[in-house]
Amino acid sequence: MIMPHSPIDRLVDDLKPIRRVRPADALILVLAATATAVGIVAMQYDLRPDVMRGNPHPIVMIRSGMLLLLGFAALSAVITAARPGVGQTSNGWRWALAAAGLFPVTSAILSALNGGFPADVIASESGPWCLGIGTMGAMMIGGVLTLWLRRGAPTDPYRTGWLVGLAAGSFGTFAYSLHCPSDTVYYIGLWYSLAVGMCAALGRLIVPHLIRW
Amino acid sequence: MKTNDPSLAHLMALAQAGDQQAYRTVLVECQRWLTRYFVRRIAPSAIDDLVQDTLVSLHRKRASYDPSRPFLPWLAAIARFRWVDQLRKTYRADETELNEELTADPHDPAIMAKISIDRLLMLLPDGQACAIRLVKIDGLSIIEAAQQSGQSEPLVKVNIHRGLKRLAALIESE
Repeated sequence: MIMPHSPIDRLVDDLKPIRRVRPADALILVLAATATAVGIVAMQYDLRPDVMRGNPHPIVMIRSGMLLLLGFAALSAVITAARPGVGQTSNGWRWALAAAGLFPVTSAILSALNGGFPADVIASESGPWCLGIGTMGAMMIGGVLTLWLRRGAPTDPYRTGWLVGLAAGSFGTFAYSLHCPSDTVYYIGLWYSLAVGMCAALGRLIVPHLIRW
Repeated sequence: MKTNDPSLAHLMALAQAGDQQAYRTVLVECQRWLTRYFVRRIAPSAIDDLVQDTLVSLHRKRASYDPSRPFLPWLAAIARFRWVDQLRKTYRADETELNEELTADPHDPAIMAKISIDRLLMLLPDGQACAIRLVKIDGLSIIEAAQQSGQSEPLVKVNIHRGLKRLAALIESE
């Protein structure tokens, strides 16, 4: 028998119609934030001339496609995490991350074969900009994704934090990649990997505190 | 009224739209299910609080349920999350006696097997599962658990810490 004013009564009394956590909302928010980041990069720093002409260099297409693939794979895992269920998995991001890892792995192999990592890439003036612009874009993208995620119920906040950072870092670095003057695998292997990795680490550090329930 | 997963999913969808009658039925059924779910996995005197905590979590996170999916795996994920959280909290030594009268009575053995808490513990290395069972479920002290398990006291502590961390990561995956 249900007692008057039982905990269940209180929960029932508190019931209001609620909007479900919808994957489409996360997708729209992230795409809008990414488009905003691209717009800011275009206005503040200019896009690459080949991108502006609509005929980008092949390396730009490959790295941008890889970043988008990684971003969407991580975003998919975040969306799955927001709506928990025993037995469900979303591991596509692992394969996307492994594929993205080909850039630093290729850089390392080429460095070993060619007598070291190119010093001009390490000392590149645009390298810190890659980190800065990518991270700033990721903060904006990760911010809206975290706001959306707070309505969900992720059961592993730390893993979800990594994934939010990975998705946001990928999309944020994608925005930078449309401006990035470099066309070398070494640059992508070093600076892009650092940018995405740093964003993932920031997601791991910051996001879990914001999504606990 | 005997409810099953499809009817709970339907009732929860109505509850998300604000139907209080449907919501009350969902909560009463969940309360019964959770009580069976947690029995023997936590001290008996802590079961009611854990069930209530889980119901409150269900209420706060009801927007995260997708009615096109089965209901019990969603409820079980929330229940496991709250259970692991409860294990992390300080254990009170006077709440150690298990109530043998309470037994689990699954309606659907297949679903229960998949989402049972024991399945989670079985996925841990033996040392970690043993340390968690002895200290967090059976209520032994670290010293007693060390003597019973043959592990050193620091190892019992490390195994509990690592085991709880791993449990949290396994909540949905198995």
